[in-house]
Amino acid sequence: MRAFIAPLLLLAAWTLPSCGEAEYDLVVYASLDKEHSEPLIAMFEERSGLKVRAQYDVEQNKTVGLVNRLRAEKDSPYADVFWNNEIAHTIRLKNEGLTQPSESEVTRRIPAEFRDAEGHWVGFAARARVIMYDPSLLEKSGSQLPPNILAMTEAAFAPHGGMARPLTGTTLSHFAVLCGQLGREQVLAWLEASRDSGIALTNGNATVMKRVCQGDFPWCLTDTDDAAAAVANGYPVKIVYPDQTAELGGTLLIPNTLCMMKDAPHPEAAQQFIDFLISPEVEEYLANSRSKQIPLHPDSKAPEGLPMPYRDYAVLAVDWEAAAAELDAVLPEFQRIFTQ
Amino acid sequence: MLSLRRPGNWQGLAAVLGLALVLGPLGPLLWAVLQGGAFTELGEARVALVFWRSVWMAALSASLSVLVGVPLAILSQRTKIYGAEVVALLTPLTLLLPPLLIAQGWNGLTGWDGLWASVFTLGMCFAPLPALLAARALAQQSATSHESAWMMGGRRMALREMLRVARPAAILGGTLAFLFSVTDFAVPDYMAALGETFGVYPGHVYNHFRDTDYWAGARAAAPLVLLCAAVLYLGLWARDRWAGEQVGQGRPAETMPLAGWQWPATLLAWGLLGCVLLLPLARIVYELGVAGPEAAGTWGSRAGESVQAAVERGREDIGRSLRTGVLAGLIALVLAPFLAHALVRRTGRSARLLTTLVALPLLAPGVGYGMGAIAFANRPGWTEFYQGNLLVVLVFAGRFLPIAVFLLAERFRSVPRSRDEAAAVSGLLYPQRLWQVYLAPQRAAWLLAGGLVLVFAVRELDLAILLPGANQSAAVRYFNALHFARDGFVAAFGLLIAAILFLPVMLHAAWNSLRQRND
Repeated sequence: MRAFIAPLLLLAAWTLPSCGEAEYDLVVYASLDKEHSEPLIAMFEERSGLKVRAQYDVEQNKTVGLVNRLRAEKDSPYADVFWNNEIAHTIRLKNEGLTQPSESEVTRRIPAEFRDAEGHWVGFAARARVIMYDPSLLEKSGSQLPPNILAMTEAAFAPHGGMARPLTGTTLSHFAVLCGQLGREQVLAWLEASRDSGIALTNGNATVMKRVCQGDFPWCLTDTDDAAAAVANGYPVKIVYPDQTAELGGTLLIPNTLCMMKDAPHPEAAQQFIDFLISPEVEEYLANSRSKQIPLHPDSKAPEGLPMPYRDYAVLAVDWEAAAAELDAVLPEFQRIFTQ
Repeated sequence: MLSLRRPGNWQGLAAVLGLALVLGPLGPLLWAVLQGGAFTELGEARVALVFWRSVWMAALSASLSVLVGVPLAILSQRTKIYGAEVVALLTPLTLLLPPLLIAQGWNGLTGWDGLWASVFTLGMCFAPLPALLAARALAQQSATSHESAWMMGGRRMALREMLRVARPAAILGGTLAFLFSVTDFAVPDYMAALGETFGVYPGHVYNHFRDTDYWAGARAAAPLVLLCAAVLYLGLWARDRWAGEQVGQGRPAETMPLAGWQWPATLLAWGLLGCVLLLPLARIVYELGVAGPEAAGTWGSRAGESVQAAVERGREDIGRSLRTGVLAGLIALVLAPFLAHALVRRTGRSARLLTTLVALPLLAPGVGYGMGAIAFANRPGWTEFYQGNLLVVLVFAGRFLPIAVFLLAERFRSVPRSRDEAAAVSGLLYPQRLWQVYLAPQRAAWLLAGGLVLVFAVRELDLAILLPGANQSAAVRYFNALHFARDGFVAAFGLLIAAILFLPVMLHAAWNSLRQRND
């Protein structure tokens, strides 16, 4: 028996020290791609000398993620900063009283449309909602690109394209914005109709991008970072910035957002981290990365060839507070339409 | 006065410790369900339709698992096909790969999508469950049962007898396949994203877990948990009903000669293994270096980069996941034998009810279990415990303990009761009895029980996202990369995790093979 138990005890001795907990100077919840967020957090640690505990998010396997964890932890907050790769859920957290103002000289440099008037959140490094297409596939299909987002489900375009179901991520935010812009009833009717229109409805922007790459259909509605990933993987795809008319208002831009959690255990370190992330240096790093995030800081230099908002394409003006409120109201309706 | 000789005291202690592990996370969940309203939504036509669809899809998947798994078990365990040992060795490997990866493999290979592709994929993913259980039952078939069948009706009758012997295990395996299929959301969601859109009930549960009142998810999950408990109970009843004669006593049966059928049987076995593992695995390997026509480098160079990135970026996460999983496995190794023995000493309805009750932590949705753990452990003064790894180890051990208990209970069932009674009469303390009668002769099964807890702990995603100490793990890195479409990295990292988890099994098999040759 001893000969059998001894190796097990050795195994326990190897693993038990991992139960001890190190002290951290800052806790960050990050929903940006780990490949990009991890090196930036390491860079911050190196420069500040602070020890950061980072917690990452996943939506692919339909786990609920960090937003609900923040809600569940509200009575005894553990996180200092929430780094969200979109904006609507950040504002929802603010409206639930889970964030606190965190303004500084650095955050005030970000254009007013990408930061909260009360200082609860600040945006940086955005993604645009674009139509990505494969020119040769489009030609073969004998069809054309939809002239705007709402035309996507028309009979002439729908069978040749795809989009993610608006249940998570930026697509959910996008359709919450559209509800505010066009009216809830019209968007809900549009989504009801989309189910039978022939447009492919996938479970995420990366999936719909991959389907265009695989040649399943010629175009899709997705984010610029997914389209950039397709290009990086060697697929001959191009991007169109939709809704570029005065009537439609422009392309939707969705920034990464940072917020300090209410009663954050390490507020000074949290402010230091927020200031670091919205610096031009970090925005340029993300703009030059595989995901080609769009810089928002006026001092950031965009890499050559990256189309810039306001300069190269019109950007939709959004009341994000209203969009977040709309999201709360329409999400159950979206779920009803797409869980059947 | 408490006596160390009385099994009830030890089993009671193990039950209290096991309960302590699961009550923290499960308590808030049960409380939310008891607030009422858990079943009202099932009255809506849309929700009822989705629920019913989940049930019949899982029933079809589980049937497919049995149809594939049982022949695989018979061919690899009881016939002389070419490479039978390799088939038996590789069959469980599928269980180490996330079903979503298998789904992507099948879609990449065949282009199949939609509802039927989901049924097929889940059937293949969980076919190893009936295969492994049936193989174990067949390995214990007595020579008397096989030889008498052979003498009466040749190969046909011998096969019927094997099916009869494997039937209880196949029923239990099919039941487990149903439970895993009906609660899976990733595969149906993926297949619905590629083809015809359809919803499943776990999607409805997931939607409710995203509500501002996240306990709505617990209430939405209640019908699914209840269904799973009912199916498990029925599966156990069916297994007991058709258990037939005691197997595992006397001389074990020889493998069946196939004569002219050897090649067709070999092809069938390898074909089934191909469907369960080899074909999707080949596609995953291909994904290592796949890219568009304008990509730089060759397939080989890109595959090399993917593997290098997986090793460099994922190494530490795998190490952390392994350490957490090992500790959870060790806790299961200590507690599971007592609980398993308590289960096998009961018979009939009480045994089935107790088994269903023990399964509850496993049947609860992972997200709800994680939320329950937060509600329990995130409180003032508990900060170190909440953010530390100890909480993760305890939560993982509690959630996956039922797996170890069920596996050991199945093995303990084959030990004659007379042997246990003789040990008791000889005056051995209860733990000594447990060791000498049950565990020492089945060390491999005992280790496997802990190993399975380790495997499930490493694979667990929902809890890894929600518990601070678990977030820097292999599962989070893997699914994060999957979400952001890093196909090469995902393939390489998935294969790396599977290889590391499978390595001990391979080494054990190689060691056994060497020993047999030397003997």
